[in-house]
Amino acid sequence: MLERFIQNISTDDAGTEALAETRERLKGFFALGATRRMTQLGMVVGAALNKIVPAGEDTLVYASTYAESRSLESYLDSFPTASPTLFQTSIHPSGAQQALIGKQRSLGEVFSHSGVDQLPSQALLTALLAPAPRVILCGGEERGGWLVNYYSAQDRTFGYALALTREPGPAPLGRLALVPSEETGQMTQSAWFDLLHQRRALDGMIALGWRLQLSWS
Amino acid sequence: MAGPNASGKVFLKACECLTPFGQSADTLAALLRGERAMQLRPVLGREGGDAVPIALLPGRVLDETAPPSWLEPVRNLLTPVNDTGWGTARRPVFVTSSNFGAGNLYAHRRSGDEAHMKYGALVNCVDWLRQQLGWQENVAIFSHACVSAHLGLLQASRMVESGLADEALVFSFDFLSPFVSGGFYALKILNAEFPAPYMNRATGSIGLGDGAGYAVLSRARGDFSISAQSMYNEMHHFTANQPDGTGFEACLAPIAAQMAGRRVWLKGHGTGTLDAGRMESGAFAKMFPGAPLVGWKGSLGHTLGSCGLVELVIACAALRNGRTPGTIGSGAPAFTAEVALEPFANDKFDGVICASNAFGGAHAALLLSHA
Repeated sequence: MLERFIQNISTDDAGTEALAETRERLKGFFALGATRRMTQLGMVVGAALNKIVPAGEDTLVYASTYAESRSLESYLDSFPTASPTLFQTSIHPSGAQQALIGKQRSLGEVFSHSGVDQLPSQALLTALLAPAPRVILCGGEERGGWLVNYYSAQDRTFGYALALTREPGPAPLGRLALVPSEETGQMTQSAWFDLLHQRRALDGMIALGWRLQLSWS
Repeated sequence: MAGPNASGKVFLKACECLTPFGQSADTLAALLRGERAMQLRPVLGREGGDAVPIALLPGRVLDETAPPSWLEPVRNLLTPVNDTGWGTARRPVFVTSSNFGAGNLYAHRRSGDEAHMKYGALVNCVDWLRQQLGWQENVAIFSHACVSAHLGLLQASRMVESGLADEALVFSFDFLSPFVSGGFYALKILNAEFPAPYMNRATGSIGLGDGAGYAVLSRARGDFSISAQSMYNEMHHFTANQPDGTGFEACLAPIAAQMAGRRVWLKGHGTGTLDAGRMESGAFAKMFPGAPLVGWKGSLGHTLGSCGLVELVIACAALRNGRTPGTIGSGAPAFTAEVALEPFANDKFDGVICASNAFGGAHAALLLSHA
């Protein structure tokens, strides 16, 4: 059985919040002045991760369909004098690395996923197959600019992090399992986030060959 | 200290790569002759700029076309294994890259040509490629800079080992564009000097190269096996490693623990930067004293997200051939005595450890052996 228990969860639905608003709202989660150099995705994912507190022996699975859309847009516009900082922050998995580097938090395995309709299932498969006793599954998106018009960026900002263990422990917040199936289905990162944010249960197909069972205590 | 995890054992049922020299046999032959694929080219392609070492597939230019100029070479590369049935529930595909269609994004922004946007963003690029190659939806995407290929290999291995997949196709690619070369030039590690991996010289530099490769992983069939895979992420700095080099050692330690006296040679990351080269070669010398260390990016350039798979396939070719290419482009003095500058016979070795590193202090390594 591909199964894990949810021991901790943090979600942040920033919606259409402006970058400056996110910076002001979340600055307390990071070192003084650090948010000036962070992306909006880096802040919402980083704040969620900081509530979970990853440990060295955890495996981290990070999922983002479009990653640092605004850094990408700004990097493209920086040519012909390319910006080294924007180049760095436009590279997967910058959104997760910004907070972890800020905390100097080394980890063993880090898996950085992208994708659209199969992304939640692929990230969950990676999390559920990892041998580590605890897996941190995190991810998010940031609201893009002109890339949104080309289906190349998300139109909302959100971030999440889950701590998943093999054993239920005394008080799990929930349970998730992937069950092989002959059927097919789809789920976007945005729909996956809404499930988590609203603590909604699901027993349904989310990808080719995979049914998700998500329940809350 | 964080605890890396090593995996069990899977077989390479098939694998092949594509570099500016051709596929693995031609690439190996060129490396054994000590040839360098890189040439000095303007960093921004048609917009000019300083000349930097870049290796492109024959006929490609740095400025991307719509559709991308790399489609037909990729299609030809995959033809031997691209039968119907990939991307199903039992035959997943793992696509890994660092830059995907970034060349088209750049071309769109510079020219305004809307045609490029069909291939530009990461997910659009992969979905277009999936349709071109006839794969179904079960396509996982990994992107973690220059260890991207290792992530795909490790997760594909776990799917196969656990019995959730009958076999898995890992495909990795990175084709250069001004988006990428301009970025590394801005970081000041891509300059007019050709890279000299593991050479103790005054100034470090890297080169860049086109690359693609695939591996079909199976539980039971293949001439080669991957018997250990390890990862470690320092999270110390975006573009620098822990100065004591412990990140390199932490990644190699679980593999060393599984060696059981076997003799190996080492295929390092070896981009040509000084600090990372010094720390990487030092960690290898400490963990595997006397084992010869080679790096091939002084010829091929850094093929970025695809380098882990491209160089794995070349290592397979070297094991088949019995001779390992030396560290092309480098020279004395090397950082350690183990750095092999010239080709050597590998028939007395039991396998090769292949390692890659990436931004953020990410490390990945695996042990490749005859099955």
